[in-house]
Formats: sequence, C-alpha cells, structure tokens
Amino acid sequence: MSELDVLQAILSAAFLAGILRVTTPILLPALGGLISELAGVINIALEGTMLVAAFTGVVVSAYTGSPWLGLLAAMLASLLFAFLLAFFHLNLKTDLILTGLALNLLASSGTIFLLFTLTGDKGSSSRLASLTLPALDVPALASVPVLGPILNGHNLIVYLAFGLVPLVWILIYRTPYGMHLRAAGAHPEAAASAGLNVRRIRYSALLLSGLLAGLGGVYMGMGYLQLFQRDMTAGRGFIALAAVFMGRRHPVGTMLAALLFGVAEALANQLGNLRIPPQWVQMIPYLATVLALAIYAGVQQRRTTQRATRFPGGPAT
Amino acid sequence: MPPEAFPIEQADRAAVQAAWGRQLLLDGLRTLGTVGAALGVGFLITLLVSPRPFSAYAALLTGPLTSRNRFGNWLEDATSLALLGLALALVFQARQFSLLAEGQLYLGALVAGILALHLPLPSGIHAAVALLGAAAVGFLYGLIPGALKAYLNASELVSSLMLNVVAQRLYELLLTYWLKPPGAGYTWSDFFPGSAILARLIPGTRVNVALLIALGLALLTWLLLYRTSFGYALRMVGANPEFARYAGIPTRRIVLFAMALGGIPAALAGAHLALGIHQRLILSISTGLGFEGIVVALLARNNPALVPFAALLYSYLRVGGDIMERTAAVGSDLVRMIQGIIILFLTAEALAAWAQRRLASRRSTHVGA
Repeated sequence: MSELDVLQAILSAAFLAGILRVTTPILLPALGGLISELAGVINIALEGTMLVAAFTGVVVSAYTGSPWLGLLAAMLASLLFAFLLAFFHLNLKTDLILTGLALNLLASSGTIFLLFTLTGDKGSSSRLASLTLPALDVPALASVPVLGPILNGHNLIVYLAFGLVPLVWILIYRTPYGMHLRAAGAHPEAAASAGLNVRRIRYSALLLSGLLAGLGGVYMGMGYLQLFQRDMTAGRGFIALAAVFMGRRHPVGTMLAALLFGVAEALANQLGNLRIPPQWVQMIPYLATVLALAIYAGVQQRRTTQRATRFPGGPAT
Repeated sequence: MPPEAFPIEQADRAAVQAAWGRQLLLDGLRTLGTVGAALGVGFLITLLVSPRPFSAYAALLTGPLTSRNRFGNWLEDATSLALLGLALALVFQARQFSLLAEGQLYLGALVAGILALHLPLPSGIHAAVALLGAAAVGFLYGLIPGALKAYLNASELVSSLMLNVVAQRLYELLLTYWLKPPGAGYTWSDFFPGSAILARLIPGTRVNVALLIALGLALLTWLLLYRTSFGYALRMVGANPEFARYAGIPTRRIVLFAMALGGIPAALAGAHLALGIHQRLILSISTGLGFEGIVVALLARNNPALVPFAALLYSYLRVGGDIMERTAAVGSDLVRMIQGIIILFLTAEALAAWAQRRLASRRSTHVGA
C-alpha cells in the first residue's frame, strides 16, 4: 500500500465513520467516570463493569432470543456491580481504588469462568447465537452529502453515546442534583454541613457511572462485535478514565478526549500499512493525557494558592 | 538505648513490645483467615464447575510441591512477586497510589536486555551493570508521577496508569523494530551472552540469584522504612500528611522519592524475568504482574519484612492454579477470582474491626461472668 492509498483511506467516509464506532465504547464509560469523579469517587471498576455488562447482554440475548432483554439484563448487572463497589467503599469503608481493582479482577476471571461453564470455551462466546442491537438507518440522513455516509447506519448505542453528552452536561451544570454532585466532590465536609447527604450522592454517582459503563460494555458485545470475548474491553475502562482527566473533567472535553483516543486507535490500524510503527501512534494519547493532567493540575494549584493569598485567613483546601 | 533503664521504663518497653507482638500475631491470623476464607469460596466455585472437584482442588493446593520443575516455578514466581510487592509496599506506605510497577518492570527488562545485548563486558560485571541500569531506569521513571504529584498535585493513579501503557508500547516498539534479529518471523531478541545471565541456584530450575537480591532488598527496604529518619518521615507522610507538614517534614520530596525508590525493585523484577528466566527479551514479558504485586503488598500489610512470605504464599497459589488448569481448565482464572476476593476481604477493614469488637466484647463478658 502506498502513502497515497493510506491517505485516501484516512480521508474516506468509512474511516471517519469508523472513528465514531471505536470512540463509542470509550465515550460511554468516560461519561460515567466523569460523573463519579465529580462526586469525589473515582471509579476504577469501569473496566470490570463493561465486561460484566457485555457478558450478560450477550448471554441473555442468546438464551432469550431478544436483544432488548439482553440490554435490560446487562443494565441490571452493571447496576449490581456498581452497587458492590459503592457498598464496599461507602458502607464497609474499603479503599476505593483497591476495591475497584479487586472488582475488575473478579469481573475478568468471573466472566471467563461463567463463559466456560456455559459453553465449554474459554476464549469467546462464538458457540452462542447472540444478537445485536439494531442499527439506525435514516434515509433522510443518508442522503445528506458528505456527512450522510459518516453519520448514518450506526448501531443505536453510538447515537445514544453522543446524545448523552449534552444530557450529562445539563445534569451536571443545570440541575440541583448536579450542583449537589459537584459539591460532594469538591468539598464533602462543606456539603455535609450544608445538609447534603454526601454518601447518598456518591452512591447515586457510582450507580450512574456503572450504568453508563455498562452501556459501553453492551455496545462491545452487541454492536461493535456480535459475541463476547475474554477481556474484550482491553483497557477501555482505563482509557475512559484518562479521557475524563484529559477532558478537564468536563462533558464536552471528555467527549473530545474520547474522540482523540478513537482517532489514535483508528489511525494506528491504518499506519500499520505504512511501516510506521503503530506503537508510536498508540503512545500519543497516553502521553497527551499525562501532559494535560500536569497542565490542568498546575493551573488548579496556582488558582488555589492565589485564593489562599487573597484571603489570608481562609482555609486553603 | 541507655545501659540502665528505670524499672518503670523497662516495664513500659516490655508492654509496648508485647502489644506489638500481639498486633503482629493478630494481623497474621487475620491474613491467614482471609486467605482461608477466599480459598473456601474458591472451593465452592470449583464444586459447581468441576466434575472432580476434590482432585482439581488438590492439584491447586499441593501442585507446586509435586515436582522439582514446579517447585522451581514457585520460587521463580515468588522472586518476581516479592520484588513487585516491595515496590508497592514502599509506595503504599507513603499512601501514594502509583501503580507504575508494571511500566517500571517493562523498562527494567528493556534496559537490562539492551545492556546485555549491546554492551560487551566481561562476565562478573556484565550482569551487575545490566541490573544497575535497570534499577536506574526504574528510579528515573518513578520520578515522573512523583514530581507530578509532589509539585503539581496531579493524580499519581492516573499518570501512572498512562505511563504504564507508554512503557509497554516503547518496549514493544524497540523489541519489534530494533532488538529482534532482522528478518525473524518471531518477536524475540537473540539469547543474551552468558556473561549477562544471572547465575542459577538450583539445577534443573530457573531459580537464580535474583531470589537472593529480592531477599536482600526486603531487608534493606525494611531498614530504610523502620531504621532511618527518611523512612520515619515517609511513614509519617503516609499516616498523616497534614501533621507531617506541620512537623516540618519536606513532604514533597518524600512523595517524590517514595515513587522513585519503588521503581528500583519493580525494574529489577523486569531484569529478573529478562536476564534470569527467559534469558532474552520476549514480547509479553509481564502479563499484569505489576498488579499482582498489589495483593502481595496488601497481604504483607505493606511491611517489607513480610513481603517475601506473602510472595511465597501468593505465588504458591498461582503455580497451583496453573497446574489445576490442566485438569479443571479454569485453574488460573479461579486463582484470579480468589485474588480478587482476598483483596476485597483484606481491604474491608470495617468488617475486620467489627469482628474484633465482637470478639473483644465476648471476651470481656467472659471475664465479667
């Protein structure tokens, strides 16, 4: 393949549509991670939640013959999984990060275990006739020049993912709940003394993040692919967390960061043809996240120091 | 210690030592109880899936002792896990959540491998230089999340997870495009020259001098933490950073160096895998070993002196799981489940404290009755 062919492939509608597809399973858990991070409870278990949801969706759709029942069961499973994290952290006072890592381990090994028990195969669910959620084909959208082929014909969840970005923005910045959420994260003591139930807010934030991550998992097993594979999320839950920080903990920023990760993933696949090592491209988003994290943290710190010097008697976080 | 202590001082000291011993015993019992409970859950799961649950579980529990080869595997795995456990114990003692051990392992293996392949040195010093190079790169890599946390207050958890991926990709990149023999259809480097290989200790196994290095480092880390002012300051930062700051401890420098120092054993774990086990660089040299170090550090309650024991206990289960895999197909996944359960139980301090209170109240009613 020559450079020109690769360039053509990158500029094609199929490539751009592909970016939306690979971004979706990063964007959904990232939105979930954003909500819980803003409430002051970082959700390390996004990865495990996605796996549990993907597995449940695939298996239930195969046994009931209904993708919708699969979706419903997957949502319930991810809620339950997120509840475990919340219960251990908020009731039993376990360390949030270690609990999250433990749950990731349980999700990864448990899904393989159940997969083997159900199908006798440890690798994938290819022996199950699982189903996918439908793709949306809108003739009016398809006929739009240039954008039509990029935007039309995706799986339902792709539209849902991008549609949720403004909804999450409204939830966080335009509702009393969002205000409470951010208060619980920014200053839990102050929020509690103002009469907010910080524990309940954090519970709800973790459950919401589980639900969103679960939706991303369902997409992996019932849209992106049509089966469950062991560890099929391949670190997307952690990439999602990175997108939250790279997007400066804002819904739109998070979406742009998720898109950047999506572009990098899609590009890495194409550049393999050019004998440019794909590892370079795969490294860039991670390095960019570290850089963004450093810049963001630096700015935050200067702000708090300025605030502290402006009000000498006031408490510096 | 003054030569002559007053009787009341002696009594005080004895009381403190007795309390220490009691706590250690209690912690040990609690840890063993946790592992036992997790193994019990594992057995219940085995009952559900295996047609011959007893023989499958027996393979898990006795496997590592059934042949010299398996015994060797146990000690090899324990060496890597002890080094990684030390890395995480050091970082956790300062209450930093840097999970960089995985990335440091990859870079340690990479640098040790490059030095072994491209630096012609006489045997005797070649391996030592390769180990030192690995330790240095682990230290330097740890400075990045350390500095970001100490001076910019950037989350070390996020930066370390990102830097793990960067290190792994760099390793793959250099191995695939430089270290691999040109035209080879596989992604391995050539075997290292004999001068760079770590001497083996037990014939017929791959157990090598890294085992002794791990034990030595456990002792050194313990001395550093409990017998130096730096270690005291580090533990104080971990226990109460506000207090440490008011006490005049340079908390930033402590945080920075905790993460950097943790890189030394983590990178040496990589060098152990490269120079001692595989004797060349292979593509996926670690499959999440850095994260396995977490459970070792937790089992040892972040005490470096206990890390080798925790590593032996945990690698015993890992090797047993691999052996069980042959008869029950899901042995290694079962061990990962057990690992998850152990972490959950160990971190559920409230649960343990609640059990302790129950025990204490029962004992006091006994005394009262």
